[in-house]
Amino acid sequence: MRLQEYQAKTLLRNSGIPVPVSMLANNVVQVKRVASEIGYPVVLKAQAMEPGRGKSGGVRLVQSQQDLENISTEMFGLVFDKYPVQSILVEKAFTFSKEYYLGIRTDFDLGCPVLRISEAGGATCLETESFMNAPLFEQTIDINRGLKTFEIRNLLAQIDIDSSLWKQFISISLKLYNLYCLKDASLIELNSLVVTHQQQLFALDAKITIDNKSIYRQDQFVNAFDPSFLSDVERQAMKYDVNYMRFPGELGCIVNGIGLAYLTIDQLIRMQNVPAAVIDIHGAATISSIAFSMETLFRDERVHTIMVNIFGGMTDCEMVADGIISSIKFNNQNKPVFIRLKGTNHQIAIDRLSMHENIRFFDTTESLTQAALDSLKESLA
Amino acid sequence: MSILLDPSSRIMVQGITGRQGRFHSKRMLENGTQIVGGTSPGQGGDWCFDGSLPIFDTVRDCIDATNADTSVLFVPPHSAADAIMEAIDCGIKTIISITGSIPLHDMMQVKAALKKSNSLLIGPNSPGVLVPEIGIAGVFPDEIATKGNVAVISRSGTLIYEVLDTLKITNIGVSTAVGIGDDPISGIDFRTCLELFESDPHTEKIVMIGGPGGVSELNAASYIMEHVTKPVIAYLVGENLSTSILRPLFSQNGALVLDSAGAKTGSLVDAGVLLANTIEEIPTLLNR
Repeated sequence: MRLQEYQAKTLLRNSGIPVPVSMLANNVVQVKRVASEIGYPVVLKAQAMEPGRGKSGGVRLVQSQQDLENISTEMFGLVFDKYPVQSILVEKAFTFSKEYYLGIRTDFDLGCPVLRISEAGGATCLETESFMNAPLFEQTIDINRGLKTFEIRNLLAQIDIDSSLWKQFISISLKLYNLYCLKDASLIELNSLVVTHQQQLFALDAKITIDNKSIYRQDQFVNAFDPSFLSDVERQAMKYDVNYMRFPGELGCIVNGIGLAYLTIDQLIRMQNVPAAVIDIHGAATISSIAFSMETLFRDERVHTIMVNIFGGMTDCEMVADGIISSIKFNNQNKPVFIRLKGTNHQIAIDRLSMHENIRFFDTTESLTQAALDSLKESLA
Repeated sequence: MSILLDPSSRIMVQGITGRQGRFHSKRMLENGTQIVGGTSPGQGGDWCFDGSLPIFDTVRDCIDATNADTSVLFVPPHSAADAIMEAIDCGIKTIISITGSIPLHDMMQVKAALKKSNSLLIGPNSPGVLVPEIGIAGVFPDEIATKGNVAVISRSGTLIYEVLDTLKITNIGVSTAVGIGDDPISGIDFRTCLELFESDPHTEKIVMIGGPGGVSELNAASYIMEHVTKPVIAYLVGENLSTSILRPLFSQNGALVLDSAGAKTGSLVDAGVLLANTIEEIPTLLNR
């Protein structure tokens, strides 16, 4: 789960990492009030996950109150990735002499945290860029020992930084690592960490991603999480622990396992088609998560045909059948449902489902996909 | 004999009384797997499956009484890392975590513990290990493979079932099938499995099933180039993920998909691996 900038900055501030004075505003009136409280010049930052929001007008410097109304009204009118801007972070603007990048990422292959430093921070624009031009220096961290001061020094010694800043840089790195561990983060990036003319380090922009699998023990994020960034369906899918992937087509697919999801997409594209949605119910699916997935496709107006492809190992086909049956009442448009059930308890499941209309059974992924696509072509013709 | 699971393997189940643990332990037993006991903290001293299997509070107690050397885990994700480390601590040789979605920071602790041990972790999010005529240590569907000399390694659970099913239909037998799981941080990778299968006298050919994300396939490619003499056939899904329509939608959803599996095929081909474009092509390549 990616935190919004204002959430990330609150975490940094509470950890003792210096960030500029800032406040969140939800409408133009609030922006005005907050800006005069903070004092001009201010930077307005649209709270959106979009990388490169600065280039699309999502980050603007405001010198005086005269410009504020127009600029903030414009910004509230912006739409990023289909979601309109709902809040703006109003931040004290200040000038700086140099920018750095400081981050902690999780190395999946080594299975450990990695501290990373570069002397090319956010570069010319105020907005974070995901690529950098200067070399990135990295240090793996022993999770049991924790981050050590000498490890940070090893990195600092490789970049162009005034040694008078080392103490601040080390202190910020240690606090950042502490935050990474405490909050179950998978990624923390300060881009950029700037040096002011008073030789003070400040985190100008911050990205924090919290490991989705740890949210259960990080309840402050469950409450802090702003679901307006997800569509209704995506939000509910999260609740039911299914993976909902939306595409621009007309065929709705339910599969168990991400591998089967990829296979399905590969096959459809090979057959010159694109799905409308692929829902991965995972191995640990329940009757209610399966029913939710079916209902979602029944309700989706773009979907003309539904195909269910389950190869049960961990997934019990009997449960899949019960989930489908409990959702059938929502199929008021009589969309055709094509099903392939194999593996654990598949015979019981097929017997139970064959009592229902509008369902056809297939033995292989290929025959299933072919039949679903044929039916789709017919309904679109 | 076979690798990871053989007739002398003594298997225990961690979390044997949970919904998944009970359901799949029963299936494993029905498939002839030698399960010697299980754990369920607080229920030690009880018996399950009509008094046929003893339940223990701790892995230590289970090993003392049964000499278990392999463990299959059905513990909920929130306590799975603890259960894995308990198994490591007690010297369990092969730990198979069916449980997936274990918190990232917990898995980093597990990785550190594994480094200092002789245990092998398969998973998390693994379907387990299957050796025809010996048994299933995991959740593979019943009767999905016959005995033979082709080894199968896969990240995806459902895809290994698909491939095994296709092999069975085309009368190709399997030595060992192992699902290494598809979670971001996991135990053994393709490389370790290839190493085991290269020295396994019952394996003549190896099928590996991969996908997008991570570098496990790339590491496998360089290992194959240097050390593997047996023919390797690879099937990779997700070839279309980088096309312009799909890529932005995938990343927006937050799925961990950034690169296309197609990018990995080059290095595998260079290593002499035969690539199957579809599952149906795998038997053809094996019979070549």
